[in-house]
Amino acid sequence: MSFLWEGIKEAARLVATGDAATLHAVWVSLLCTAVSITLAAVIAVPYGAWLGLYRPRGRRTQVFFLRVGMSVPTVVIGLLVFGLLSRRGLLGSFDLLYTQIAIIAGEFLLAFPLLGTLAHGATAELDPEVVETPLTLGAGRWRAMLKVLRERRVAIVAAYLAAFGRCITELGIAITVGGNLRLHTRTLPSSIQLELSRGEFGKALAPGILLVLLACGAALITHRLSRESEA
Amino acid sequence: MRPALFLLVLVLVSACGSGTGDHARRLRLATTTSTRDSGLLDDLLADFYKLHPMEVQVIAVGTGQALALGARGDADIVLVHARSREDAFMAAGHGLLRRDVMWNDFVILGPPADPAGIRGTTDALEALRRIRASGARFVSRGDDSGTHIRERALWKLAGGPPTGADAYLDAGQGMGRCLVIADEKGAYILADRGTYLSFRKRIDLEVSCAGDVRLRNPYGAMIVDPDKHPDVNAAGARLFLDYLTSSRGRSRIASYRMDGKALFHPHAPG
Repeated sequence: MSFLWEGIKEAARLVATGDAATLHAVWVSLLCTAVSITLAAVIAVPYGAWLGLYRPRGRRTQVFFLRVGMSVPTVVIGLLVFGLLSRRGLLGSFDLLYTQIAIIAGEFLLAFPLLGTLAHGATAELDPEVVETPLTLGAGRWRAMLKVLRERRVAIVAAYLAAFGRCITELGIAITVGGNLRLHTRTLPSSIQLELSRGEFGKALAPGILLVLLACGAALITHRLSRESEA
Repeated sequence: MRPALFLLVLVLVSACGSGTGDHARRLRLATTTSTRDSGLLDDLLADFYKLHPMEVQVIAVGTGQALALGARGDADIVLVHARSREDAFMAAGHGLLRRDVMWNDFVILGPPADPAGIRGTTDALEALRRIRASGARFVSRGDDSGTHIRERALWKLAGGPPTGADAYLDAGQGMGRCLVIADEKGAYILADRGTYLSFRKRIDLEVSCAGDVRLRNPYGAMIVDPDKHPDVNAAGARLFLDYLTSSRGRSRIASYRMDGKALFHPHAPG
């Protein structure tokens, strides 16, 4: 038990003194996660909502593939992106492997099916009238959908935060295509992995605690929003 | 004092062993990935099992973590390659006994284009200086492994590592992954010859510099002190250490081949 306590004290010290490498890892984690889930949300949320509200042909198949996409292990996504970005791969000439862009690409693929599925879920069960009303009032299908999404914004923000939680804690992609390069692509999860491999339990806990704080922050916001929407 | 205590522990451990059966037959060996990945360890263990029917659990990690496992009593014997760390481990009282076991060598690998112009150099420091001067990329292990410790020592002797953040890539990962990163980035890297040989067919990197005496890589084995951690299987560890340094173990090490090439050289006795 004292072993764990020593680790926690060391972690607090690193965070309090603002260790440069740790803070940079926080920055890389936040940046890559924010960019990837925002890009994914811009496409996946309207896509999922469209499927949910207008039930186009092939909806079931598409929802099925979104769900399958959600269960693809992150290391496999990492492999896929690696295969594309490798020197020998399709996009090899751009020298993108082991960059933040590579991590963003991987996390985009991770977040997309999650956001699509949740956006579909948030709209599919609604009374058909919610879109029919604006449609009969002369709004286009796109506009009508945006109106519904605005009403369902709590569910959408919750989906966004779920994607945030998934991507910020992601290790497989960060290691495989990020390369864990110090002050380049080292994220909080890959810092934990590295410090453990060095046998530095306390130093591994510092990014661990920061990660928990970020994830808790996201959960807290979700909780707040859902309470407000109930009120 | 020490030998007497050791005997006492031996008696205790064998007493426990006869009572519980499995405890004394299980040996936890913390070692570096290089010994496992080269296939040497499997070869040695197969021979060791013929002499002693034991269960050896191999925990293959970086040197830093292997030593930490030993210091916490989560391993019975530690086989690593970082002499200064090994001495510190013994000085801190974590180890009961340390012996030199064998050595292999490091090589500096580089891309076929050889932007630093070092192919064929046998002076490791000159090679590093040219890498730094040319601004070519260099991938560092950055994980406190034995290879990383050597890498840092060599850079220090050569006047310091490259300063550009884009030239010096600190990857913080194992040898295999770092080789892949260096290969992908067209970078130079310090690697142990064993891991390089096992990756040779899958990467374009070539040996740019080898043969410098400063690239020798000695391995030492240490039995974890059972005074500090009573559940350490010191008797089993002693059997394995004796095997490694016996004439049978040494000739097994010397005759191990990877791709038809000798990798490890047993430490000369005496």
